[in-house]
Amino acid sequence: MVSLTHVSKIFDGKRKATALEDIDLHIDKGHMVSIVGPSGSGKSTLLNLIGGLDRPTSGDIRIDGENLSELSDDDLTRVRRDKIGFVFQFFNLLPTLNCLENVALPLHLRKWPRRKIEDRAQELLNLVQLGHRLEHLPDELSGGERQRVAIARALSVYPPILLADEPTGNLDTKTGQEILKLVDDLHARLGATILIVTHDSEVAERCSRTVVLRDGRIVEDRRQ
Amino acid sequence: MMLLRLLSWPYLRRHLLRWILTVAGIVLGVGVFVAMHTANRSIFRAFDTTIDRIAGTTQLQVSAGEFGFDESILERVQSVPEVGVAVPVVEATVDPNIPGQGSLLILGIDMTGDRSLRDYELTDADQAIIDDPLVFLAQPDSLMVTTEFAERNHLAVNSKVQLATIEGNREFTIRGLMSSAGMTRAFGGNLAVMDIYAAQQILGRGRRFDRIDVRAKEGVTIDDGQAALKAALGPAFDVDPPSARGRHFEALLQSYSTAMMISSLFALMVGMFIIYNSFAIAVTHRRSEIGVLRALGATRHQIQTLFLVESIIAGTLGSVLGAAVGITAALVIAQWISSVLETAGGVAQRVTELEVDPTLIAAGVMAGITTSVVAAWIPARNAARVDPVQALQKGKYQVLSMGENRRRRWMALTAFLIASVCLLLSDSKPLFYTGYLAMMGAGLLLAPALTLFLSKGLRPVLRRLLPAEGTLAADSLVEAPRRTSATVSALMLSLAMVVGFGGFAHSFYSSIREWMDNALNPDFFVAPSENLATRSLTFPAEISSVIERVDGVDQVQVVRDARVTYHGVPVMVIAIETEKVASTVHRTPVAGSLEEMNRLTAEGKGLFVSESFATNLKTKMGDVVELPTPSGLLKLPIVGIIRDYSDLRGSLFIDRSVYRAWWKDDTVNIARVYVRKGQNVEAVRQRVIQTLSSRYRLLVLTNREVRDWIMKLLDQWFGMTYNQIVVAVLVAVLGIVNTLTVSITDRKRELGVMQAVGGLRNQIRWTVWIEALTIGVMGLILGTCLGAVNLYYTLGMIKRDLGGIGLDYIFPSAFMMLMVPIILGAAWIAALGPGEAAVRGSLVEALEYE
Repeated sequence: MVSLTHVSKIFDGKRKATALEDIDLHIDKGHMVSIVGPSGSGKSTLLNLIGGLDRPTSGDIRIDGENLSELSDDDLTRVRRDKIGFVFQFFNLLPTLNCLENVALPLHLRKWPRRKIEDRAQELLNLVQLGHRLEHLPDELSGGERQRVAIARALSVYPPILLADEPTGNLDTKTGQEILKLVDDLHARLGATILIVTHDSEVAERCSRTVVLRDGRIVEDRRQ
Repeated sequence: MMLLRLLSWPYLRRHLLRWILTVAGIVLGVGVFVAMHTANRSIFRAFDTTIDRIAGTTQLQVSAGEFGFDESILERVQSVPEVGVAVPVVEATVDPNIPGQGSLLILGIDMTGDRSLRDYELTDADQAIIDDPLVFLAQPDSLMVTTEFAERNHLAVNSKVQLATIEGNREFTIRGLMSSAGMTRAFGGNLAVMDIYAAQQILGRGRRFDRIDVRAKEGVTIDDGQAALKAALGPAFDVDPPSARGRHFEALLQSYSTAMMISSLFALMVGMFIIYNSFAIAVTHRRSEIGVLRALGATRHQIQTLFLVESIIAGTLGSVLGAAVGITAALVIAQWISSVLETAGGVAQRVTELEVDPTLIAAGVMAGITTSVVAAWIPARNAARVDPVQALQKGKYQVLSMGENRRRRWMALTAFLIASVCLLLSDSKPLFYTGYLAMMGAGLLLAPALTLFLSKGLRPVLRRLLPAEGTLAADSLVEAPRRTSATVSALMLSLAMVVGFGGFAHSFYSSIREWMDNALNPDFFVAPSENLATRSLTFPAEISSVIERVDGVDQVQVVRDARVTYHGVPVMVIAIETEKVASTVHRTPVAGSLEEMNRLTAEGKGLFVSESFATNLKTKMGDVVELPTPSGLLKLPIVGIIRDYSDLRGSLFIDRSVYRAWWKDDTVNIARVYVRKGQNVEAVRQRVIQTLSSRYRLLVLTNREVRDWIMKLLDQWFGMTYNQIVVAVLVAVLGIVNTLTVSITDRKRELGVMQAVGGLRNQIRWTVWIEALTIGVMGLILGTCLGAVNLYYTLGMIKRDLGGIGLDYIFPSAFMMLMVPIILGAAWIAALGPGEAAVRGSLVEALEYE
């Protein structure tokens, strides 16, 4: 499903900084994988590369056999919107849109019919147990609820891959647990490939596989 | 200084583009101000220089408007004991038939006496001429030109020049070249001197002079000389120093100068909104920085000073650059206006160099700096009021407070009430202008609330059209009311100006067309010059009977018109064959009955005037007009007021018989020719040309050609106004670029999220474009409303102070329809750069952007 071959990422600022170096990684369909490591180890960079938010300096990244390096920006966006869902640490909900509109946004961008969009957005919000908060703005929600909306948005087209960057990093323990339970539940029900970047060992333990990064390299690849 | 270096400078460097756009707003505002005023000043200066140089040591000039007077007046002037020297002058511009040289100012003088007033220093001539001017006079084809004119056209002594005279093209021989000093700077060097009697002949003056130049006797003051001459000649003659002609010229240009001043002030005001916008945004962006400063002990005064000093620096930089741009553009503008004036007004002046006034430049720079400081004042005060605790918190911070909105609405209501009261009492000039300002102020004060209202109102529409892009664009506008409303206000103000001037132009064009349909209906016009506004060449009276005898001609109406000064205002006296004209022309009466005014005027018992004359001279039906004539003071009552655009300062219509009797002149400026029914107009025209061309220089213009000439003049006249509109719209567009540049920075994360969840580049671009287009739509809506009000006041202002022309209120709907694609196109172009910037950045950075 996801395959990285000799992937490196060097940030070319005033000083060169190697974020990832010669990464080889293969993730099968339907697996739930956690990526762990200390700050600055390259976890988020790896997730951004897999998600097509950034491009590697060298190496190949393939999603369903499609080499992301060879795609134009718009084709990359198409891969992202059809195959990948994102969940961010800081939710990244649009503050002016209500829950329904936030979840519907990716569907509108895909030019789905209005009726279908509304039905799907409601269905997803019901799935994350926010069916009663359709018209609420993000400001009117708790942290956990915002993350649920973000998850619903990430799942809007039921993508085969879900990428989550510290999904519980901005939540208290109890809410974090609820979100993880939701992700587990969705994984079981939807069968999506899930990659979670975290520095929380408890989150990592819930995944069938844990990839440990240090200084831009994979130092450990544990399977349970 | 430390705060400036530590805080302002890094911020400026980070947002360089926005600062350049802000400064560009001031550059344009000050540039227009300096350019227009420098151009106007240069034109006045060129005119004054021409007068000064030609005047020589002349202290007083005796004249009787453009009609001139009989030669016998010279003796009366010379017999006044206080007069030392009195010499006659005939002056006119003629075509030297040299491509690209324009016209040549001919000064017809009496060489024997004139040298005591003017210095004709000859650099090259026959020694005989230098020694004895009679040699010059003995050869009637003699001409002296300036060395500049000769050098420009590769002419020398004994070269031949073809002048387009009333008798057709006539060859003159250059007998002398005048040196660079003295008179040669007059009329840009395009000056020629010839004997006065030759000039009378070739210019169709008969036995008349244009004026007499006088120097008082030794020991007599100018005032005493003037008083003595006035007493001797009576009220029919003007006795003024040469500089008075400059004042008349200024009066002629007054409406144009005022219009220029108003539009440059508009440009500055639009610039002010751009600056306000920039500073309001800067304060919002630097809110946390201000919070930190306040937390560290900076006083409110220090924060306010920091922003004001920034505004002074931006204002100074923009103003200095604007002044430089203005001076650079001024010469081109001056030459353009100068050529329009020469064509439209028949006024001889030529701008060859700029008259740069340091005081004006200083005023422009000060206006720019003041505008900048005034615009930054409210944002600076708001910065000083930032609460450090709130400033250090994250969250929404652009929302206009309810209190602020309410306060603005109350102020707007107050301004509206003041404007309404002033409208009821608008007979008073100060109250009319106070009302105008109050109404514009009310519009501007309401703009933020209306912008917010419109943004919210447009959201569902945009959402329906483009659910993702439209909604986000609308939200961006709603969420940043300061940013949005300042730009919309600038656009609204620009468009209000456009509607005002566009509506004025539309009404004016439509009135002129109506006037042309009614008054200019002959089949063709016979004139001595291609420029119908030039009245320095005239036909003898016989032209009427000669044309009437041409086969196919039904009727000829001859006209003699000339400008005279009436109560200090230069107006046009038009002598017509009233009965004949009444049979073919159906004017629009403003007061009085058309039949009655025609009858009384034809009988010599009255005159009728144009509406502009009645307004400018504050006269009404029944008032007696006292016209100075060579035969004394002609007193005639006003028996009618009509709508007429022959002259913008005002026209008086008298019967030709009255003119002949009082002015002792029967020359003709224009012959209006009607062709017999069934005759081919072109064939008759050709017969007229054949009959007359051997005897006179003439131009036969068809009705269509005259109409086209008038419309071309109008186009030229309004051309500069349109340019100003372009500048104002450009400034407003700069505001849109500025707003969008900030908007995409503010929405960096939002746009990043949009891309992350599947937004294609074009969809992101559309979000930015829709935001710009919505700003354009809101500007159009509010600008049209404020413009409708502005047009009312503009027409009132024109009727009251700029020409006295009454124009019907016609909203320029077609013009505004044209503005829709222009403004939306400009908004879209303004959005292209920010749109590209929005899709070019790093997505990862955008998602992490705070």
